[in-house]
Amino acid sequence: MTTRMVQEMTNTADPPTVDDIRSLVRPDQVHRRAYADPSVFALEQERIFGRLWIYVAHESQLKKPGDFVRTRLASHEVLVTRHTDGRIYVLHNRCPHRGARICMVDDGTSRLFSCPYHAWVFRPDGSLSTVPHRKSYPAGFDLDDPAHHMRRIERVETYRGFVFAALAEHPEPLVSHLGAMTEVIDNLIDRAPDGEIEIADSSFTIEYRGNWKLHTENAADVFHPSFVHSSSVMPARRAPANASVLDQDQTREMLLANGFGTTEWETIQLRGLAGGHTFMTSFYNSGVLASQTTDPVTTRYQAALAARIGPERAAQVLGMNRFNNIVYPNLIINAQYQQMRVTIPIAVDRTIVRIHCFRLKGAPDEMFQRAVRFLTTIGSPASMIFSDDVEMLERCQQGLAKDTGPWIDFSRGLDSDREDADGSVSGAASEMPMRVQFAAWVNYLTTEAA
Amino acid sequence: MPDQAIQRRIESFLFEEARLLDAGQFEAWLKLFEPNGIYWMPSRPGQTDPLNVASIIYEDHAILSIRVQRLLEARALVLTPMPRTTHLVSNIEAEAGEDGEFTVAAAFICIEHQAERQRIYSGRHTYHLASEGDSFRIKLKRVALMNSDGTHSPMAVPL
Repeated sequence: MTTRMVQEMTNTADPPTVDDIRSLVRPDQVHRRAYADPSVFALEQERIFGRLWIYVAHESQLKKPGDFVRTRLASHEVLVTRHTDGRIYVLHNRCPHRGARICMVDDGTSRLFSCPYHAWVFRPDGSLSTVPHRKSYPAGFDLDDPAHHMRRIERVETYRGFVFAALAEHPEPLVSHLGAMTEVIDNLIDRAPDGEIEIADSSFTIEYRGNWKLHTENAADVFHPSFVHSSSVMPARRAPANASVLDQDQTREMLLANGFGTTEWETIQLRGLAGGHTFMTSFYNSGVLASQTTDPVTTRYQAALAARIGPERAAQVLGMNRFNNIVYPNLIINAQYQQMRVTIPIAVDRTIVRIHCFRLKGAPDEMFQRAVRFLTTIGSPASMIFSDDVEMLERCQQGLAKDTGPWIDFSRGLDSDREDADGSVSGAASEMPMRVQFAAWVNYLTTEAA
Repeated sequence: MPDQAIQRRIESFLFEEARLLDAGQFEAWLKLFEPNGIYWMPSRPGQTDPLNVASIIYEDHAILSIRVQRLLEARALVLTPMPRTTHLVSNIEAEAGEDGEFTVAAAFICIEHQAERQRIYSGRHTYHLASEGDSFRIKLKRVALMNSDGTHSPMAVPL
């Protein structure tokens, strides 16, 4: 298909065809419609977020029956609940009676969900418990009829405490979708001396005015930090070491860590896997990690871990140094910093990012406090790092919204990327991860039936 | 409740702080803090723990001075163009403590204008002030945003 034809299709209301989607992605370029066309976004909601396994909650948020969290799954608002039978359910947050939203808070504990309108009352598995004035309903009205229940998402699976849901009728098994990305979830849990993690109560929710893919791509991009984050790298370089009494210099080290150049670009390795997953070997080599290896907190933590699983295994667990592990399409995990991000698409040009951290059970309290500090430094709305990222994502969207110059460039590294048995391999300066993400994107969007 | 003269001096101090922020004189603003002063913006209503609960900002003078230096960097993308602000401080109630220290509660509104966007922040300030000559230094400034636990866009200029 020619460029001219692609341009003519812009702003059509019809859903994009398989050929339309294929025509948007070239080996080295992507058409702006991938980011700016609402009909492409609708297809993503249907075939990516509406079919793949999507992370919805962590089991540590659902410890006892009645515990629930509210989140989004594709275009739906859902409740993830723990029922009295111990099972986890994912329910549309909607009363089947008149369609009202039922739950108006993000999390809590409730053995019963009551619709405030006409007081239909539901159990945490979505089943209808009671309706007032039962006798006014027709004789055939059956409380056990699923039509009167909060609608369930049938496909719910958990991988080691991470709860995923899929709207597809027959999704592939969760572990096969996750593929080698299970290693990073394993590693996060393995780092806990007690072999268990808990998601922190506090998290951040950031909204930006841009397409969801911009954030996923930015998280796989090691080329931008030197430019985008120079305004925090430079003052951190001028600031004296160990001046802060609050955080053992963690914030300054984290800001410094973004100031890298040719050496890092040429030594860090990027990996792309089937299904669109990508990760990089860690780049915080000189900063947070190095200083932590000698301080008393880390020493205590490492001893606790070694006591539980043996020094050899502990060294192996702590040695896994992968950064921004992106589980396609929207989950980003950094095991060594106990961090996680979830990208939630709202509209073609509106995205929410939720940023969480974890507690390693059995580790010193200070380890958790460092994870909390990491969360604030990199994920707070006032972050000296992420705020500049968000600014660039929004500027990209503003440019991509314009029809002029419809193609954007993803060619860097094209001549030097390699393939091996595990997938694609490249240096850090390559745009291979974005190409891997877009290859998966085309594949998902052009698959007609789930 | 401190006497009228002290109340007036405390109000003047808070107004001066607001004026420095509005004028973009961030280095002068930083000098209002004690060398070990802390700026705290919690992420949850009623948050008392800055260590085990994430804060939007929890910084001592050393980190705050990096933040201020960044505000002066030409390359800070989120600050291009530099936002213009109006910081309003009102409902100021001071309570005298020991050794010439005061706890001050205030309500605030900040209107921020940047490029084509205008935003409103509001909430409550709590200050711990130490007397220094005729004026004060900030030991702690706690900024409790009304929507602290809400969905946020990046924040640029201190409130």
